[in-house]
Amino acid sequence: MGMLRIISKRGDDRLLWNAEDALAGDAEAKAAVQEAERIFAKEQAKGATAFRVEPGKPIERVEQFDPQAEQIVMVPRVVGG
Amino acid sequence: MNMVAVGAVLCAVASVVLILALGELIAHSSYGRPEAKRRAGELLRAVLTPDQYGHLMQRGHIDIASPSDPERTYRVPKGPGRVQVREKGRLTMWLCLQPLERVPEADLLVMHKLMIEADEETYLRKANRFFPTFWEMRERPELQ
Repeated sequence: MGMLRIISKRGDDRLLWNAEDALAGDAEAKAAVQEAERIFAKEQAKGATAFRVEPGKPIERVEQFDPQAEQIVMVPRVVGG
Repeated sequence: MNMVAVGAVLCAVASVVLILALGELIAHSSYGRPEAKRRAGELLRAVLTPDQYGHLMQRGHIDIASPSDPERTYRVPKGPGRVQVREKGRLTMWLCLQPLERVPEADLLVMHKLMIEADEETYLRKANRFFPTFWEMRERPELQ
């Protein structure tokens, strides 16, 4: 299962998808992946930065949505305070 | 007399509108709600290592090693506040960086950790820098 977490005032908004089912052609799983990709692009356009966060691995900044990612965390646009 | 009555009615209407507007504002602002805090706490636990989480609970901050400079660490506080940059264990400056959108406190910590570990260059470029004065260093030994 993959998870997109978008940090917001609500804590974080989450979206789940099953990459294996999507690859196997499951329509619902494919729709979930497309929806996650759409939200990823929308948040990125607003200035958010995405990070791939997986246990035991270094955190990695990502520019493209990867359905194989276990977890992607998106941080809203930041400014110097 | 009529003017007084009209004034009283207008005042009452204005009060009701104000109360409704405040209610709407509170209802749509989930910042600070227990659910938002709980979710932010879950994300924080998922992102920090067990050691970092333990350190945070005990000391109220986490130290994040710079990926680019082995002698530099970033001391990120649990709550809102500036991040200390420490070189060889000594404070050299504070950094201030915040999201445009208000987020729960735990999410601020997540933001700092992700950016420092995976995008330190952007983090340093965007953050405002504040340097300790001689007097601050002398009067506040905890900074050293």
